[in-house]
Amino acid sequence: MSDFAATDHSSAAPPQSTAPKDQQWWQRLRRRAQARWSLRLLAALLFFAIFGDFIANERPLYCEIEGRHYFPLFRYYSVSAGLAVWQPPFNGSNWDELQYQAVVRAFIPYSYNTIDGKNRNYTSPFGHQNIASWRDRHWLGTDRLGRDVAAGLIAGARTAILVGVLAMTIATLIGILLGAMAGYFSDDKLRVSRAACFIYPLACFAGFYYAFLARALAWAEGSDLIAALGIFALSLLIAWALVKLLSRQSWLAKKILIPADLIVMRLIEIFNSVPPLLLILSVIVIFKEPSLLHLMAIIGLIRWTGIARFLRGELLRVRQLGYVEAGQALGYSEWRILWRHALPNAISPVLIAIAFGVANTVLLEAFLSFLGIGLPHNVVTWGTLLNESRSAVKAWWLAIFPGLAIFLTVTIFNLLGEGLTEALDPKMRE
Amino acid sequence: MFRYLIRRLLWFVPTLIVISMVAFGLSKHTPGDPVALFLNDVSKLESDPIAYQKAYSSVAADLGQDKPSFYFSVTTSAFPRNLYQEINRERRNCLRSLIQQYGNWPQIEHYYQLVGHLDNRLSTAPAGQATTSARVALRLLYLQAVNEVISINLDTIGRALKADTALYNYAAPSFDSLFNAYAQVKAQASPWRHYIPACYWYGLDNQYHHWFGRVLQGDFGRSYANKQPVTDRLWIALRWTLVINSIAIFIAYLLAVPLGVYTAIHRGKRQDRWITLVLFMLHSLPVFWVATLLLIFFTTPEYGMDWFPTMGVGELSTEDSFLERLLVRISHLVLPVFCLTYGALAFIARQMRGSMVEALQQDFVRTANAKGLLPRQVIWKHAFRNALSPIITMLGSVLPAAIAGSVVIEVIFNIPGMGKLSVDAINAKDWPVVYGVLILSAVVTMAGILLADILYAWADPRVKLGKK
Repeated sequence: MSDFAATDHSSAAPPQSTAPKDQQWWQRLRRRAQARWSLRLLAALLFFAIFGDFIANERPLYCEIEGRHYFPLFRYYSVSAGLAVWQPPFNGSNWDELQYQAVVRAFIPYSYNTIDGKNRNYTSPFGHQNIASWRDRHWLGTDRLGRDVAAGLIAGARTAILVGVLAMTIATLIGILLGAMAGYFSDDKLRVSRAACFIYPLACFAGFYYAFLARALAWAEGSDLIAALGIFALSLLIAWALVKLLSRQSWLAKKILIPADLIVMRLIEIFNSVPPLLLILSVIVIFKEPSLLHLMAIIGLIRWTGIARFLRGELLRVRQLGYVEAGQALGYSEWRILWRHALPNAISPVLIAIAFGVANTVLLEAFLSFLGIGLPHNVVTWGTLLNESRSAVKAWWLAIFPGLAIFLTVTIFNLLGEGLTEALDPKMRE
Repeated sequence: MFRYLIRRLLWFVPTLIVISMVAFGLSKHTPGDPVALFLNDVSKLESDPIAYQKAYSSVAADLGQDKPSFYFSVTTSAFPRNLYQEINRERRNCLRSLIQQYGNWPQIEHYYQLVGHLDNRLSTAPAGQATTSARVALRLLYLQAVNEVISINLDTIGRALKADTALYNYAAPSFDSLFNAYAQVKAQASPWRHYIPACYWYGLDNQYHHWFGRVLQGDFGRSYANKQPVTDRLWIALRWTLVINSIAIFIAYLLAVPLGVYTAIHRGKRQDRWITLVLFMLHSLPVFWVATLLLIFFTTPEYGMDWFPTMGVGELSTEDSFLERLLVRISHLVLPVFCLTYGALAFIARQMRGSMVEALQQDFVRTANAKGLLPRQVIWKHAFRNALSPIITMLGSVLPAAIAGSVVIEVIFNIPGMGKLSVDAINAKDWPVVYGVLILSAVVTMAGILLADILYAWADPRVKLGKK
C-alpha cells in the first residue's frame, strides 16, 4: 500500500513529538470530574463484560463431592475449548441437584440461561421468592421462564461491549484509511503511476474473484475467511511487484492525479443519504442465520463515515503545517509523511468520533435485539430483556434494569466523547 | 445559487443510482421465491406439474423474473450465459450448486433435461404404487445437488421401476439415459473452469433496468403480502412519519431556542449547570427505553396511571365532529411526539447554547454593551441573530435524523409510518416494501440535506454556495 510513490526507507525517522502532547490531553481529560467518573464506570463495565462468568454462573467456582475436589467453572472453559470432558458427577446433571460437601459459588448462582423452575412467571425482586437461602436470591427478579435478570444483564454487558467495540474497530480502520487519504491528499496530492492505476484495481478484482467467486463451493461448505483473505493479500502482493517492475517503463510510470477527497466525500454522501438504521435492517435480513459477527461487520461497514470526516477535517489543517513541508523538503514520500508524521498528530480527534460511535452502536444493537431482528435467538442482550417487558406489563424490573444498563453505557461513552471534545479543543490547549 | 442548486441536484443522480443498485442487489439476495408467492391456487397446481410450470412461467414473466438480473454478470466460465432462463429460483440454485461442484455445464444441462424428460414420461405412465414412489423421488432430483442424495433417489427410482414390469417397459430407457447422464456429469467434471473468469453482457432488457425505470416513475412494484401497489402504502406511511416528525421538531425548536439562549446567558452559573446536565441526560436516554416505560406505566391500568390510549393512532368514524377527531388524534399522539421531541430538544438546545456562547464573546457584543444598550437588546438583536444561522441549518440534519429515529417510536407506539412499515415488512418477508422504504427514505434524506444547504446560504449572507 505504501508504494504508490518512490520511497526512501533508509534514513531514520525523526524523533516523534507526539508523546508529551498526548499526555497533555490525557491529563486534561483526567482533570475533568465528569470524564474521570465516566472512565471509572467504563472500567466497571469492562470488568462485568470480561469477568461476567465469575460473577453470575450456575457452575460453582469450587466444590467438593464425595471427598474429591473440583473446579467446574474452570473446567467449563477447557471443555468448551475441546481440551477436556466433564467429570462423572457433572455428566448431564442439574447443578443445584448435586450433593456438595463444600461449595463456593459465584455471587449470582445462575447463568443467563439457567431456568429456575421454582421461580418462573416473573418473580419480583422485592416479593416472595421460592429459594433455599438468601444466596440464591434473584436480586433483580426473573422473567417468564424463571431466568435471572441480573445474570442476563451481565451477559448482555458482554454482548453490548463486544458489538460496540468490534464494530467500531472495523469502522475505525475503514474511516482512518479513507479519511486520511481524503484529508491529507485532498484533491491535489495523490499522484499514482499509470501502471498502479491499472494494476491495483485489476488485482482487487482478481483477489475478489479467486477468493470468493471461484471458490464458491469451498465457501458453501464452510466459510474459510482466512484462506480467502490470504488469496486476496497474495494478489495484492503480486500486483505490487508488477507495479514495481512496470514502473521502469516511462509511459507506465507517468503519474496521474487522483482526486481522493472528491471520491471519498461522494462515498460519504452516499452512505449518509440513507438512514443507517433502515440500511442495517435491509442488509441484515439477507442472512438466513444472522450472527453477532454479521451484525458487527455490517455496523462497522456502515458507520465509518463519522470517523473519516473527523480525520479528514483535522488532516486538512495538519497538511499545511510546517513539519509536513519540512518532510517534503527532506524528500520523504507522501505516504511516509502521512503515516508517520501527519496521522499521529491528527489521530486524537478520532477518539471523539469513536466514543460517540460506540454509544451509537450500543444503542443500535440494543434496538435491533429489542425488535428481534438480526441477532441469533440464543443470545441474551439488554434489548431482548427489555422487549420481554412489553408482553409482561407488571414486571417493571424487566423494563427498568435493562433500560438503565443501556442508558448508563450510552451515557458513559457520550460523557467520554464530551470530555475528549473539550480536552482536545485547540482553544483549550493554550 | 441557482447553478449550485442545479449542480447539487445533478449529484443526486449518481447517489440515487448507487442506492438503487444496492437496494436491488440486496433484494435479489433475500431468502424466498417471489414467484411462488404470487401463484394462485397452489394446492390445485401442486398435483399437476405441467400446469404448475405453465402458471409459474406466466407469473414469472409478469414479474419480469424471466430476464437477466443486471446489464452484465461477472462469473466463472463454468457458468453458462443463459442460466437466468431457468426461471424457477430453487431449480436455478440447484443448477448453480451442481455447476459449482462439477463445472461442466453441457453435461449438467443434459442431465437436467433428462430429469424433465423422465418426469413427463412418468406423468403419463400407468398409475400405481411404483409410479407414485418413482415420481416422488424424481421430484426431489430437481432440487438436489448433493451427490449422496441424488444417488439414493436414483436408486429409489430404479427399484420402483423394477418392481413394476409395465412401468419398467414404459420408462426404463429414459431412466437409463438419465442414470448415464448423471454418471457422465461426475466422470467429466471440469472444476478447473472456475478459475477462468467470464463476463456476460445482457443489454438493456434486464430486471434492474425495468425496475429502476418504474421506480423513477414512482412505481415500486407490488407488495408480496397483499399484492397491493407498494407506492400506495409508502405514501400513507410517509404522511404519518412527516406529520409526527414535523410536530415534534416544531415543539423541539420552540422550547430549545429559549432554553439554549437562557443557559448561554447564565453560562457557568448554577441554573446553566443543571439545565445542561438534564439536557445531556435527555440526550443519552435511549428513546426506545423511554417509550417502553411510558407505554408500561401510562397506558396500562397495572400501576394506576392509565392516562393514555395504548397504541396506534386511534379509530375515527366520519360522523364525529372535527373537534372530537382532533382530540382522539391528540390523545394518541402525545406520548410518541413527546418521545420524538425530547431527543431533538436536547440536541438543538445544546447547539443553541454553544453558538450563543460563541456569539456573546464577539467584539460587536462588547461594543453594544459599551454603547449602553439594554441587555435585552444586546442579546436578542445582536447576539441572537448571529447565533441563529447554525440552528436553522440544523433543521436539515435534524429532519433526516428524526425520520430515522422515528422507526423506533413508530414500532413501539404502533404508528403506521415508514419505520413501522419497514419493520413489519421485514417480519412478513415483504421485500418490495422494505426496499421501497429504503429508497424513499434516501430521497427524503437527500432533500433534507439540500434544504439545509439552502437554508445555510439564506441565513448567512456571507456564505456563497458553489464557490470555494
